[in-house]
Amino acid sequence: MDRFYALLVGLAMGALIQRVRASSPEMIARNLRLENLSIIKFMATTIAIGTILVYLLNLVTPMHFDIKPTYVVGVLVGGLVFGVGFGVGGYCPGTCVVGIGEGRRDAIWSIVGGVVGALAFTLTFTTIVAPMNKLMDLGKITLADVLHAPAVAVAVVLGIVFLGIVALLPTEPGAKAKG
Amino acid sequence: MTSPVAHAPPMAATAGKGIPSWARLGVIFGVVSAASIALWAPIGVSGTYPRFIGAILRRVTPEYAAANPYLVKMGSLLKPETFLVIGLLIGGFLASRINREASPKTEMVHAGEKTVSARYRDAFLGGFLIIFGARIAGGCTSGHIISGITQLSVSGLIFAAGVFASGIFTAKMLNAGGR
Repeated sequence: MDRFYALLVGLAMGALIQRVRASSPEMIARNLRLENLSIIKFMATTIAIGTILVYLLNLVTPMHFDIKPTYVVGVLVGGLVFGVGFGVGGYCPGTCVVGIGEGRRDAIWSIVGGVVGALAFTLTFTTIVAPMNKLMDLGKITLADVLHAPAVAVAVVLGIVFLGIVALLPTEPGAKAKG
Repeated sequence: MTSPVAHAPPMAATAGKGIPSWARLGVIFGVVSAASIALWAPIGVSGTYPRFIGAILRRVTPEYAAANPYLVKMGSLLKPETFLVIGLLIGGFLASRINREASPKTEMVHAGEKTVSARYRDAFLGGFLIIFGARIAGGCTSGHIISGITQLSVSGLIFAAGVFASGIFTAKMLNAGGR
């Protein structure tokens, strides 16, 4: 049943990514250059709605949470490496799959690069990554743990803050200056 | 000859009622992401890449695959996440076909990309780095940023900070001097 749910979620996610144009590497690059913030605002809206919903639902029925461990050095280094790749290629691991679905030739090269990257990672995991990821490992912590506050309250506040930022930020920061 | 309306970006194609499409799609994605956590698990994509490598290595060199702690940890390619990735491919295909969009032309993303082969090179390089970085950190845009922050995990916030810091820097540097 989990595989069926995963397939359905993937179908919806693929269609949403295509519609919002997140599978366009040019649109991603424009967002990273801060010329157009539509994808960043789309992601922040997703997170805001998702966090409020999931922690409210959690009051009624248990959720399938899966918190990833915070090994500070590895997560930050991984994020920095990811960001360079995101900036160079304009794809992330999911949007290039959507891109192939809609017929983008360069998306195929992004997946090939990803598969080679996964092979390189597998071969170097034990020697380089595993030792680094033991540094500053804080375990599976959430903002609620850090703030010693009820998770549902933190989720609602975070959701509202994200929605507020989204409402205040212009979608086309460059357009205003021109006008 | 062009009216001022022609300067409106494609993203301004909004949902009629004045709600920008990124906001409408973001709300829907928030509901989908919460539904995923309610039904099965948080969404995540990048782990499928090393599981694919694992599936190949288990056929080509079974002894090595069985002895590699990372491949053992990541498990089988038959995990539900793989079906999410298949959903992304089909969802992207259906969303573009239902709207009768032609296959998108290959987009030049940076000032330095003068040829299609330069675009393929950048897509490949970007694909390599996003997967290598995501596997160091233990997740990507979906697993760490969307699902992670939705679950209030500290790791998601650190990863997002790293991605946008180096992503914005890289995209701006690559485009320095204009197109």
